[in-house]
Amino acid sequence: MNPTALRLELRRSRTLLIWLGVVTAAYAGFITVFYTNVVENAEAFEDVLKLYPKELMAAFGIEANFADPGVFLGGYVFNFLWPLIAASAAIVLATRVAADADRGFLDIALSTPIARLSYLSGSIVTQVVGIAMLAVAMVGAILFGDLVIEPNFQTVSVMLSALHAVAFGLAVAGPTTWLAVVLLDRGRAAGIAAGVLVLMYLLNVIGALAPDFEALTALSAFHYFSLKDLINNGTYPVVDSIVFVVVGAAGWALALVAFRQRDLAA
Amino acid sequence: MTEVIEAFGLTKSYGTRRGIVDVDFAVHEGEVFGFLGPNGAGKTTTIRTLLGLLRPTSGRATVFGLDVWAEAPRVHERISFLGSEPGYLGELTAAEQLDYVARLRRLPKRTWHELGERFELDPTVPIKKLSRGNRQKVGVVQAFMGDPQLLILDEPTTGLDPLMQREFLTVLADLRAAGRTVFLSSHNLPEVERRCDRVGIIREGRLTQISTIQTLLAGHWRSVNLVLGQPPATGTFDLPNVEVTSMNARDMHLMVRGDVNPLLQRLAQLDVRDVTITTPEIEDVFLSFYNGTEAVQENMAAEVAR
Repeated sequence: MNPTALRLELRRSRTLLIWLGVVTAAYAGFITVFYTNVVENAEAFEDVLKLYPKELMAAFGIEANFADPGVFLGGYVFNFLWPLIAASAAIVLATRVAADADRGFLDIALSTPIARLSYLSGSIVTQVVGIAMLAVAMVGAILFGDLVIEPNFQTVSVMLSALHAVAFGLAVAGPTTWLAVVLLDRGRAAGIAAGVLVLMYLLNVIGALAPDFEALTALSAFHYFSLKDLINNGTYPVVDSIVFVVVGAAGWALALVAFRQRDLAA
Repeated sequence: MTEVIEAFGLTKSYGTRRGIVDVDFAVHEGEVFGFLGPNGAGKTTTIRTLLGLLRPTSGRATVFGLDVWAEAPRVHERISFLGSEPGYLGELTAAEQLDYVARLRRLPKRTWHELGERFELDPTVPIKKLSRGNRQKVGVVQAFMGDPQLLILDEPTTGLDPLMQREFLTVLADLRAAGRTVFLSSHNLPEVERRCDRVGIIREGRLTQISTIQTLLAGHWRSVNLVLGQPPATGTFDLPNVEVTSMNARDMHLMVRGDVNPLLQRLAQLDVRDVTITTPEIEDVFLSFYNGTEAVQENMAAEVAR
């Protein structure tokens, strides 16, 4: 990997990551501060939740009372905020190679001694670093918010949830990088990646609502992104994390092979 | 003679669409090689193949003896490239992008500084805010910096004002004097005529001609207007490369192709009161190649005669 290319990737990702990090931390911290209030008014919340349509509950992965730490953090942060933030960051960072091709910059960079694999590797490392930074911002804000009120969550479990959150982000970033390299068109690559994610989200919701379609949830990345057991019981979703990492790594491997072989047409 | 670029049966097709077909040529060390052709002829495809951005469908090309596809990074250590619409990173200023590219090319920071002043480039402005011409200046400085051994330039003066075009040609002349090799694709024919040692002309993906500018011009019709002291004897101008197109008593118009010496020898035996020999404009010569018909060349010759 070329350190110059990596520095540039990190540098031009700075603004995006800072703003996404601020939004993530602000929202996660803000929501966490209200957890004590939710626990104190658990019965009232229970009554309110009874009024919600079950479709809405399924859409946000709310399976029980909000006083349950796993349900609270899942419903408000992990299943709602994180997929949006991780997908946004992954798609923007992973399609940058296509944007460089659109702007003609790829021709300049790749007519210097830098090898194609080095160039793309810089982008891949930036994706990992960026998604990890955002996960740390999210989890850090939860722990800070938890400290501000009174400790309710298991610190180690919350910290470990960052790992699974990163793994989810990688599973989005890897295949999106491959799409960007194959299409060399940022709009199309980002559109397809976002479309597939929305489809997966719907499959997960439909599977949760209709038992006949439950099997469809296996096709959804969101099915494997549940942190409830980790937050409540300290059980880390090892297999799910491995699946995410394998999907991400496979996407990058395919992207590297395709980028090495493909024509870079004008 | 050392060859810097060599292409052997270089062919690139995009599925069923033609790119270039069986292109063979060599560029000698220290020469400025012009590469000409109409839009869509295959100039950019050839250049992108030489840069290792496109993989040849068949045939191969080498730069400094290295395969342009398999050993692209090693080739790129010794070359520099400028496209007609140089890419840029909108988030960076000109100075930042130039420094970035310099680092990728393993050159010291601010290598571009002297050239930047020469081309009156404001390095502090974000590139996305620069005009088309000023962006092109960034590309020109980027290409020339670091004294590359081979420059591959694809319509490099597009968007530059006349003063900057002149400066560009001066730098090009300096590079040539320093023994650098330049592969120059251009639509600016006077630029090609002034700076190129040889030119290759590509048409519909095939290289149709490679020659020096002089040979290229000499191979075309020249127009000769004569005023003689007395009408010439029959058969005076019976030469294989001369055609009498009009004769009015002592006024004559001839067309001569190629070597003019046999005609001059005949004229030396006559009482010539006045003579004008018109060389075709290089634009006309190239247009004839672009259009690709002999008839066009002859029409052009007739036009010159008028």
